[in-house]
Amino acid sequence: MIHILFTIIAFLSIPSLSLAGTISHSYQHELIGQARQARLADEREWHLLLHYQNSLWGGVTSEADASEFFLSPQGKHNPQAELDATITQFFSVDPVGRSKQPAQCAFIARYHWLKERLHFDREQLAPLPCERFDRWRAEMNPQGISLIFPAAFLNNPASMFGHTFLRIDQKGQTEQTRILAYTIDYAADVPSDAGMEFTFRGLLGGYKGFFSTPPYYLKVQNYRDIENRDMWEYPLNLTVDQIDRLLMHTWEMDNAYFDYFFFKENCSYHILSLLEYANPALHLRDRFSLWTIPADTVRAIVDSPGLAGTPVYRPSRSTIIKRKRVLMTGEEQALSNRVMNNPDTIREAGFTAIPVNRQAFVLDVASDYLRYKGETDDLEMTVYKERNRMVLTERSKLPIPSEDIEIRPFTKQPDVGHRTSRVTLGGGWRNHDTFQEASFRSVYHNLLDPEPGYTPDAQIEALAVTVRHYNRAEQTKIERATLIDIVSLAPIDDLFRALSWKANVGMQTIRRRGCQLCNNVVADGGIGAAKEFHLLTREVIFAFAEAEANYSKAYDERHLIGGGATVGLLADITDRWKLMVSGTYRRYPLGDKSDEIRWYTGSRFTLAQNLAVRLDYHHRDRDDDVACSIQAFF
Amino acid sequence: MNKLIMLAVAAAFAMQGGLVLAAGTPDTGPGCGLGKLVFQNHLNSKTKGAQVVMATLNGIGGQTFAISTGTSGCTDDGRIWAEQKTTMFAELNSDALAQEMAQGHGEHLASIATLLGVPPQHHAAFFGMAQSQYTSLAQAGNLSAGAMVKALNDGIAADSALAKGALN
Repeated sequence: MIHILFTIIAFLSIPSLSLAGTISHSYQHELIGQARQARLADEREWHLLLHYQNSLWGGVTSEADASEFFLSPQGKHNPQAELDATITQFFSVDPVGRSKQPAQCAFIARYHWLKERLHFDREQLAPLPCERFDRWRAEMNPQGISLIFPAAFLNNPASMFGHTFLRIDQKGQTEQTRILAYTIDYAADVPSDAGMEFTFRGLLGGYKGFFSTPPYYLKVQNYRDIENRDMWEYPLNLTVDQIDRLLMHTWEMDNAYFDYFFFKENCSYHILSLLEYANPALHLRDRFSLWTIPADTVRAIVDSPGLAGTPVYRPSRSTIIKRKRVLMTGEEQALSNRVMNNPDTIREAGFTAIPVNRQAFVLDVASDYLRYKGETDDLEMTVYKERNRMVLTERSKLPIPSEDIEIRPFTKQPDVGHRTSRVTLGGGWRNHDTFQEASFRSVYHNLLDPEPGYTPDAQIEALAVTVRHYNRAEQTKIERATLIDIVSLAPIDDLFRALSWKANVGMQTIRRRGCQLCNNVVADGGIGAAKEFHLLTREVIFAFAEAEANYSKAYDERHLIGGGATVGLLADITDRWKLMVSGTYRRYPLGDKSDEIRWYTGSRFTLAQNLAVRLDYHHRDRDDDVACSIQAFF
Repeated sequence: MNKLIMLAVAAAFAMQGGLVLAAGTPDTGPGCGLGKLVFQNHLNSKTKGAQVVMATLNGIGGQTFAISTGTSGCTDDGRIWAEQKTTMFAELNSDALAQEMAQGHGEHLASIATLLGVPPQHHAAFFGMAQSQYTSLAQAGNLSAGAMVKALNDGIAADSALAKGALN
């Protein structure tokens, strides 16, 4: 009996082996046929999975640049060929991709999507175990996803462009243990020996961008502690199924890299593509055609109904210090400043006389400041670290825990901010003429733009142009153009003393001698200081020493080079009304030797998040210019 | 292998050593390279010029935790190796931990308590223990993160309530 059974098994097993080959082969063709019939290669989800975008000359091209990401040699441009090759590869256990796994595991999101759409028959296409993915997913332990946005770096307006990444919130975590979560980050891989050329390569796609999953504590350390930036954490409402899709697609991303373009295909852009795959009903990237500004992507996400919850704020170290200091008496502030300079102050009677909980508070503020200086002061780092150690040793001898103190932000969350492109329509008078004007600014924020959601006292504008029509002169001219215009006012106090600075490159029209409305190209920059007051609401006064170079045919020898000073005031009159006044003196010893005085008064009233009116008055030499305009941000 | 990771962690902690390490790590992919990570910090904190450039182009930086490049130093498929998790956390958060231990309070302290298996209801007792033993813990921390983690574990074991909690 047993003998017969063996014979039958042996008999059955031989043809069944070869049969399996033909069955899978014909099943493979059947699946490809079904997929073609259902036109799956044209579906949005397939295009999201492969990161296809319409190309200029018709057809599609994948943004992914790694050949290992495609299973067909034509995959980068041909969705159908890639789909056919993907189905074929699912029948194989051979490792593929940079992550060296069978296709079912390496491209696990593609596998699950196709399995669902084509109802794979388990008998004919056996599902393979994906232990590496299972282990990884178990470690990520996802319960939710948050979008993280570190706000600008103080005194560096360029960092207003910001960064975004995702955090995988884990089951069982509390706000206290959130830092243990993993994140999904997209960044360019810059070799450690890169020099200044990395600015250009970063802008022009010279680096490869990769996804990675660093723990959140490293990101917090990098942004909050070292770069001293406030962080905003937006919980996203994704279903369990959408979170699964997000993770599966993230896993696939390990086979991909993308050429990194700072302005468009940057961190925020690729984070949006992940979210679009998680929920294909989202069309987050449609808003962004030429550039993707991280803060704008935050607004795009918040604008998607129901997607984002109320953000959690994670203050930077300097915000913490400033807010805590307000909670101290004058005497405590003085004590804490003395402790920062000389930790031995702790032993003096003046310190030991105050209550223990206030002693602890004074020491905590001192330690916050010393840590801040230990991270940021290049020259005296070790001095501050040593002082911090002494302060902490004394602090540990006071056997009470520090209290939780709610730290409020100085700036509202980024989603309430205006969008970054701006159009302006207006009119006014210049000398004895009237004009109408229209301007367009590509990015980002002017000192007089509505301030909610933006770093206070910081401006960066780039690629702006104003066209004017003068009625009496019957002339239409490019009135002003800005390549880049940066102003960073850094109000100083007894702890934070940074220089304010500004830099500008652009052109405008001038009136000089016989030359009316002459084009003038200018580059100028300055270093100065600012101080904050609270007389009315909030006022910042500033003073700069400046250098300036001009080129125009209106000048003798066509140039005008010199320097001077500006003093001014930036004031919030009400929540919506902001005022700026400044006076400038210039002396030009080179070129067309001369000097001049300028006055400026500007005023803005906010009508809505993306709408404001402006009144500007410029006086320069014998040239007076008043413009009234309405500004829309989009 | 463990030794190698500890070596990487130790070298990374030696700060400037990280630069050399980053260059010398034969990473195939983006790689773990704690060295690179340190380089990133190095760039950020040591030179103002680099700081400005880094901040301007943020989103550009060394890759540290690739998703699944296999075993490349300190991670395996993007996960930090379980047995190294606590030590690595202590290593990379040494300043924050020192401050919070002295203050008997904070998220890094709560997080390391969680990694050490201290249940939430015993966190306050753990914080108190860390604060009272701050001097010896900080000394251990100066030696190595491993030594500090061991000292914390010893502190838990010596405290009967904590020891019982950690076992449960």
